[in-house]
Amino acid sequence: MYLLDALSTPAQYLPIAIQFAFGVLFVAGMIAISHFLGPKRNTSDKLDTFESGIEQIGNARQPMAIKYFLVAILFVLFDVEVIFFYPYALNFKSLGWEGFAAVCMFVTFFFAGFFYIYKKGALKWED
Amino acid sequence: MNLIIISALSGVVMMFSGLFVKNNRTISYIATALIIFLSLATMCELGAKSWFNIPQAEAMLRTSVYGKLIGVILTIATTFYFVLSGKDIERVGKHVADYYALMFFVLAGAGILLSFQNLLMLFLGVEILTIPLFILTGAQKQNLKSNEASLKYFLMGAFSTGIMLMGIVLIYGAMGSFDLSVIGKKAQFATPIHGANLMGLLLLLASMAFKVSAAPFHFWTPDVYDGAPTVFTSFMATIVKVAAVVAFIRLFEGSMEPFHTSKWQILVSILIACTLLVGNITAVFQQSVKRMLAYSSISQAGYMLFAVFAFNAFGKEGITIYGLSYSLATIGIFSVLSKMQDITFDGFNGLARQYPGIAFALTVFVLSLAGIPLTGGFLGKFYMISAGAASNSSYTWLFILAILCAAVSVYYYFRIIQAMYFKERVSDTPVFEVPVSKAFPILLIVVAALIILIGINPQILLQYLYF
Repeated sequence: MYLLDALSTPAQYLPIAIQFAFGVLFVAGMIAISHFLGPKRNTSDKLDTFESGIEQIGNARQPMAIKYFLVAILFVLFDVEVIFFYPYALNFKSLGWEGFAAVCMFVTFFFAGFFYIYKKGALKWED
Repeated sequence: MNLIIISALSGVVMMFSGLFVKNNRTISYIATALIIFLSLATMCELGAKSWFNIPQAEAMLRTSVYGKLIGVILTIATTFYFVLSGKDIERVGKHVADYYALMFFVLAGAGILLSFQNLLMLFLGVEILTIPLFILTGAQKQNLKSNEASLKYFLMGAFSTGIMLMGIVLIYGAMGSFDLSVIGKKAQFATPIHGANLMGLLLLLASMAFKVSAAPFHFWTPDVYDGAPTVFTSFMATIVKVAAVVAFIRLFEGSMEPFHTSKWQILVSILIACTLLVGNITAVFQQSVKRMLAYSSISQAGYMLFAVFAFNAFGKEGITIYGLSYSLATIGIFSVLSKMQDITFDGFNGLARQYPGIAFALTVFVLSLAGIPLTGGFLGKFYMISAGAASNSSYTWLFILAILCAAVSVYYYFRIIQAMYFKERVSDTPVFEVPVSKAFPILLIVVAALIILIGINPQILLQYLYF
């Protein structure tokens, strides 16, 4: 039957409630124990933000170039589109000309998008 | 189907026209031509068959006459919006073609919301409707308030979408299907209602109430509407809101019918009462007309929710009239407001002396929003309240509250009329930031005439419901 039919009375939810309580208590207990038992020797070096062993310079909250992000997101977009070719390649023969037309349409859309971002200047690296 | 496909294609056309056309005016003309074509296409679909015959989509999207009529109303309202506010859209920023493209995508989302048959399509439609709005809200990149509004809207919208998905999942868990008609059939035999199903319905109710900004889920509305560029506030408060209300009705109407017990009406009546009270009473204290209209849009949503309370033919007819008259009136007021220097009530001082045509049209819009007879707004409110009374007459307190709130709304709406006609202009600054064209007052009066026409003869609209 349906997913939730097995659990219809409140009493049947009891194991789940126990598991929830156990989970919360376990995590809280572990944190509390390590807090009380662990040795604490605070030096200025230790309290610094960890930057892979390199001393930190300046403030992290400053504007940074969005180019990297843009290129990365465009890469992801086109990368995912290429994935659609794999199932088509496997079924190339059985899909026939109709499938070919559909893929051609897909590629056309694909290139229209590429043309758009190219014309918009999203791929221009130097300002 | 015409609305969904052609508006999506128009959006793509607008994106590409931004690459080749450098003149903003030309872009506006292209957008206007496309939206007129889109309205004609939706009208053709209403009169005859759809141009696109896609039987495979039947399980996902099923257009009804009602959905088609609302589609026509939305596109007509958008046409007037483009014509009246085109110049203001051009002034928002650099990417004019993209703004138009995003608005076409919003219309595509609205098209899905008017015809979804599957809860997944509901989710998809809501996403297509709101994601462009996040961008439009933050369109003024240099304006901090616009950025803040956009971020706020995005975060809150993401949460409400999450809540909607949780609701859909719970309903799927209890019913085993996303299809509205299957859910409806199964629910008829499932008594008492399954706990998970009930929870899912409540979550869906909460998230849809968020989308139409019904109290107590309205907190994002004033800030977002205030922070967004004024032209886009106009779009959000009218076309998007009507589409969301119709989706709300469609979701809970046929398939969820078995749940319409007395408890459902208690829930919705509380929602309506909160929305009306919060919207109207807070609007009284506003000094900025833009913020006042944001609260007024909350209260107008409260009236539209009567259709969700009632689920009868009256409610549907009421939404048709209400949707068109409210959209046209609000678009008209915003098209004037987005041209003005000072968007407080004082900015309207002495407008009637300088621009009698604009002042007259504004008066009609304001009267329609307040629900004065002879305007479409009156008939809209009349239909909504009588829909409620026809479905369950024991909620007298709710109907009295609705009428009292309409009376309260007269106060803050009429402050605009008072400022225009009875106050003198003190400062020497011009009323408008940019000179208005000669055609603008004429267009406004045409819109005002349309509102009065609906108010006198609603049958010209309603006859299409019963083709």
